[in-house]
Amino acid sequence: MKKKIDVSKYFAYLFLITVCLIWVIPLIFGISTSFRSQAEVVNEGFRLLPVNWIVDNYVTILENTSSAPILRWIGNSLFISITHTLLVVVVISVTGYGYARMKFKGRDVLFFTLLGISFFPNVVNIIPMYRIMDLFGWVNTPWAMIVPGLAGMGNIFLVRQFMKGLPMELDESARVDGAGDFTIYFRIILPLIKPVLIVAGLFSFIGSWNDFLWPVIVFTDVQRMPVTAGLLLLQDIYGNYQMVGRLMGSAILAIIPTLLLFLFAQKHFVSAINLNAGLKG
Amino acid sequence: MNKKKYSQWFFVGPHIILFIAFILIPSIYGIYASFTNWNLMTAPNFVGLENYRTILFNQDSSFHREFFNGMKNTLIFVGVSVPLMVVIPLLIATSIEHKKVKYKNFFQSIVYIPGLISISAAALIWSLIFNSQLGVMNNLFGFDTVWTATQPYAWMTIFIMTVWGGIGGNMIIYRASISSVSQDLYESAEIDGAGAIRKFISITLPSIKFPLIYTVVMTTAGSFNVFGQPLMMTGGGPRESTSVLMMYIRDLAFGSGQSIAGMASAMAVLLGMVLLVISACQYYIMNRNSA
Repeated sequence: MKKKIDVSKYFAYLFLITVCLIWVIPLIFGISTSFRSQAEVVNEGFRLLPVNWIVDNYVTILENTSSAPILRWIGNSLFISITHTLLVVVVISVTGYGYARMKFKGRDVLFFTLLGISFFPNVVNIIPMYRIMDLFGWVNTPWAMIVPGLAGMGNIFLVRQFMKGLPMELDESARVDGAGDFTIYFRIILPLIKPVLIVAGLFSFIGSWNDFLWPVIVFTDVQRMPVTAGLLLLQDIYGNYQMVGRLMGSAILAIIPTLLLFLFAQKHFVSAINLNAGLKG
Repeated sequence: MNKKKYSQWFFVGPHIILFIAFILIPSIYGIYASFTNWNLMTAPNFVGLENYRTILFNQDSSFHREFFNGMKNTLIFVGVSVPLMVVIPLLIATSIEHKKVKYKNFFQSIVYIPGLISISAAALIWSLIFNSQLGVMNNLFGFDTVWTATQPYAWMTIFIMTVWGGIGGNMIIYRASISSVSQDLYESAEIDGAGAIRKFISITLPSIKFPLIYTVVMTTAGSFNVFGQPLMMTGGGPRESTSVLMMYIRDLAFGSGQSIAGMASAMAVLLGMVLLVISACQYYIMNRNSA
């Protein structure tokens, strides 16, 4: 019987290593191609590592600030994602406090009505949302990507759940001491809900960084778009795979920020995903 | 006392304004627009059920053809990608949670990382891999296929990229649920002589039923909104065989030339009706989760 278990161990390893190779090779291929010249790519075909390492692709990418301003795109994305994330954290913690810790007539009816409406499929909203952005003068501005997402209910639901798990005695004893709602929110509740805010913040950041459909619709100005929308233009700008090194270099640059975030906050990601699924992280 | 009565609106009020402006009004307007010949800029004219009649029943109309082609392709995507995005991460999670496997977090990170990459960056890399002259597939494995322009390979490129970038979250959920299954169950099964596969089917699968349902519903809901992968990998081709509904909706409303936003809204509502069923499941699950 011991033997049986060992066999399954090797199968598990074999499977995992195969999967990891398949998962990593595209990235290595992308990185290595970004350091190869077009001539080498054409003549030598596929190689995991370049014959001659060159940085020309990156120099050209960074010098092109008119048709494909990649650094500017990344900067736009950073501004959008960071601002969006900070505002999400404020909105969901304040709103969550209202629905979880304050008593007022119709509170739960209101909450579940909004939650129910928010499940209405998003596809239907997109076209009118563009019109609203146009009315506000937000087309081709970061606000089109920062503000609408603040209306979502998913994270508020999460925060409300979390806050309901905190003992009410906390609020009550503070109230006896003369604290108002704002003090209780800021001094007592806010520090306690940090874990769930980190979760919501991480996903808001990644979500807004990687959003694709909406920025493609709402941005036409090359200088103002976020990097996801910008990369869509690259296939045309760098001539249908006539300049693959530049194409790959741009893709790699666009990946770096979220990858760094993952390296620093890996633990939170795992507990975040599990918290969302209603599992203990 | 009087002050206390209204202070809740300071907390929930700002979000309600956001909700009305960016969820409630667009939803209602989106439904209304589907009954009009809206062109996005001037005031819409009410045309009743005309858009729906054209889309659903007018055989000669390009909208009819586009809707059914787009819906068919969206369903193909959902039908193939959802099972893949459940089964593959489940196998990976099971392997990682094998009690004698080490480097668990390393394997997990490798599989999760592509999920952090935007669709457009991932698509650039995968397009090059499947490129007929310069790509890995044809160079290394000697294929002689123009992958993105021949079926069924065009679909395959889309599925491969989707699975590559989309299974990390499900895998982490499965891992957490598998690791919380009681070891006693496995041990007593081992005493009864059950092998690895037997244990997986009789113990693991039933124990993680709820996370499985959760991921199936969430993955399905996400898959119906597919847009970026076909747009960037195949451009909807060959011969519109990978053109999904979201691509048609976007083209009609925001494409070059006169916007046909009314018709696009009607298509969006029809797609939304399919999604509503899935949303109902989501709502049910969230409430169950909170209980």
